[in-house]
Amino acid sequence: MTSVTVRIAGANGDGIESSGALLMKVAAKSGLHVFGYRGYQSIIRGGHVWYQVRIGDAALNTHGDTADVLIALNQDAIANQKSRLSNNAIVIYDPTKVKPDGLQNNKLIAIPLLDTAIKISGDPIMRNVIAIGAVLKLLGIDISVFDKVIEGMFSRKGGSVVADNIKAASMGYSFGGLSTAYSLKSDGISRYVLDGNTALALGSYSGDCKFYAAYPMTPASGILHWFAAHENKGVLYKQTEDEIAAVNMTIGAASAGVRAMCGTSGGGFSLMVEGLGLAGMLEVPIVIVESQRTGPSTGLPTKTEQADLLFVMHASQGEFPRIVVAPRSVEESFYIAKEAFNLAERYQCPVLILMDLLLSEHAESVNNFNLDFAGIDRGKISETPAEGRFKRYLLTDDGISPRSIPGTAGREFIAGSDEHDEYGDLLSDAFAGLDSSLEMRRKMHSKRMRKIETMLKSEPLFVPQIEHDDAKHFLVTFGSSTGAVREAAEILKQKGLDFGLISFNYLMPLDSERTKALLSGKSLIDVECNYTAQLVHVIKATTGIDIERRILRYDGEAITSSEIAEKALFMLNSHKA
Amino acid sequence: MQDAKSVPRQYTYTSGVKPIWCPACGDFGVNAAILKAMNELKIERHNMVMVSGIGCSSAMPHPFSTYGIHGLHGRILPIATGVKLANDKLTVIATGGDGDGYGIGVGHLVHASRRNIDLTYIVMDNETYGLTTGQTSPTAMLGRKTKSTPFGNIENPVNPMALALSTGATYVARGFSGDPVHLSELIKNGIQHKGFSIIDVFSPCVTFNTVNTYDWFRQRVYKLESEGHDYTDIGKAMSKALEDVVSDYAKLPIGLFYKTDRQTYDSMDIALKNGPLVKQPAHTEADMLSLLEENR
Repeated sequence: MTSVTVRIAGANGDGIESSGALLMKVAAKSGLHVFGYRGYQSIIRGGHVWYQVRIGDAALNTHGDTADVLIALNQDAIANQKSRLSNNAIVIYDPTKVKPDGLQNNKLIAIPLLDTAIKISGDPIMRNVIAIGAVLKLLGIDISVFDKVIEGMFSRKGGSVVADNIKAASMGYSFGGLSTAYSLKSDGISRYVLDGNTALALGSYSGDCKFYAAYPMTPASGILHWFAAHENKGVLYKQTEDEIAAVNMTIGAASAGVRAMCGTSGGGFSLMVEGLGLAGMLEVPIVIVESQRTGPSTGLPTKTEQADLLFVMHASQGEFPRIVVAPRSVEESFYIAKEAFNLAERYQCPVLILMDLLLSEHAESVNNFNLDFAGIDRGKISETPAEGRFKRYLLTDDGISPRSIPGTAGREFIAGSDEHDEYGDLLSDAFAGLDSSLEMRRKMHSKRMRKIETMLKSEPLFVPQIEHDDAKHFLVTFGSSTGAVREAAEILKQKGLDFGLISFNYLMPLDSERTKALLSGKSLIDVECNYTAQLVHVIKATTGIDIERRILRYDGEAITSSEIAEKALFMLNSHKA
Repeated sequence: MQDAKSVPRQYTYTSGVKPIWCPACGDFGVNAAILKAMNELKIERHNMVMVSGIGCSSAMPHPFSTYGIHGLHGRILPIATGVKLANDKLTVIATGGDGDGYGIGVGHLVHASRRNIDLTYIVMDNETYGLTTGQTSPTAMLGRKTKSTPFGNIENPVNPMALALSTGATYVARGFSGDPVHLSELIKNGIQHKGFSIIDVFSPCVTFNTVNTYDWFRQRVYKLESEGHDYTDIGKAMSKALEDVVSDYAKLPIGLFYKTDRQTYDSMDIALKNGPLVKQPAHTEADMLSLLEENR
């Protein structure tokens, strides 16, 4: 497999993100694989931002590490990115704006980007397109694919936009002295390019989600942007006054029979916690997305972390069944979002999808999605009139009671957030503490909690996945770190070390027997993006197995395959010594 | 009274569950007024959802045989909004107290008002936290002594009518549970009004509020309609909303303060152009394929 990592760096407002997105679209349409990630800050203009695009001729697990090609749009880009370049990296820069200080050992390509851009259209942003043209030449990508992508994006805009872009790219592509430097083999497949938030939104759409409520918060806002833009396609997006309103509206909509979801980051989820418990108590099927960023409080709003795992697993007072799942890739975000609604409705409980900034905001190419529209399971719903009053919370063996949708005659009920009996009538008021009430509390609480056993019995999902199960050592991880960890296992294998991968996506409930069987007796190294090794806590609580060797990162950047490999190697060597 | 047996099931509105309220609680009057309004409007009980929060008055849905959600403290309006957005054919009535709606949940009142979502919100205002045994509330008058203000309340009360008017509610009324027939008319008209209706109700707490009693209210309330109040004039409505303070609580107007027609959120949301969300057809593979193409 050959892959090239390209980094476009400059200031906010320079069009860095759209340039990265454009490069990815062209490469993915050219029969290549892409993986892109953006580095940015909480500032609208200025700051130092970069977009890293890795392009390869086989499936990619990460956005790569050091840059093989740097497009430096300002002097800061040289200063900040100098230490993050591969040996012999190629640097494209504008000699009228940027001095390539300290890059004597690199291959330097000086293109008068700004002057050329102004000559073409008068718009300085066109300099990015010229640079992309040059990169396409370096990568050996056919420039005609760029033209098609631009036509698809801008033909509706009219005027000279399409022609200007094509001209700009072509000037970069044919810039004197440039030649193709990498050998990437196209397989001719035109791929989708999308980030985790978009994949999650599309997955929920294919799961017939029709309602999304949110208060804007990075890095979950991409989901609301998708829903807001598609309100004419059979979904309703409600921007709310706060996350408390978001979760409660979602509960209202789900109670009225619509598949409903809300999403936020950790701070907003903190406000949703009481509502989460309400969904548990009323047994309303809702899906909540929590996309993590770094740290408590405001933290690092534009950086990633995996430190909310224990929080989402344990948030709320009291006990109730919930499902927690952390997708491991963009593609998996689609399938998990879709399945989340089946699980929520089948078990009438909240499902929490744990994303993070890395997964929400990085883009990947995906060959295709399997669209199984027959797979909608709405669970137990009663549609015929009941004899007498409807027992919404009927005590059942599997813990699941048939629910009814308002509008259905003869199945009316009042859902009570207080502990209640089978009708939904409250135990708390006149009867709390009396014998009949004590018994009903025990029965009703057990009924709800029994759903966990039912889930574990009925669903094959609640165990980690193992890759190379005959390996000598295993890296263990969950969610978005899985890509980097898989790549690290590959690196270690190339170094002659026999490494496999154990990765968790479904984290709650966990099948303790099967998880224990999978982990016991193995040489394990835990990898995750937090300080306290939260996955190890979960594993220990579920199986009794502790993992003492841990590779943890918590500075806000995604963990890289090379650092994992390096640290794992060190751990094995020190173990021998 | 109609013979119970002859009432068709969909119009039998009582569940048989006994309310938790103290004898003579103001909320009984509100319960009677809601029931009377439902009987007159002939709302099918399966097409009605009563949403409440937490507090004595939030027990309101339980004696009814409609659909209902007895949710969290202060979150009545978001839940009711979610229900209405999912199915705008349902009649959604939100019921709660002053602590719920003007204290912990007051932010939601502001936004439900400005959205003009088609809900009817009935607030049983007793100037007291009753279920927690008698602390001060957001509408308690200055100086009032309660368990939590033994030296007298030093916070200015919220003015619910002025708040609703200033944030865009399109039906703003106040009733008195000592006059359930009058209150019932306000509720009935509120349900029929297309838009956000708020009906604040003086609903005395007979256990913990020994100041604002039935007698205290009877001596002070008067009906706006008896004075020929022009409820289409928001300026006049605002001055009536402030009359309690201006008159040092000598005059407490009840009745319809303000009513106007403005497009509702649910009628304007593009997602609801093809009918109630819950009735819209499931997403199809063809939809999905075209949405996926946006990412190529």
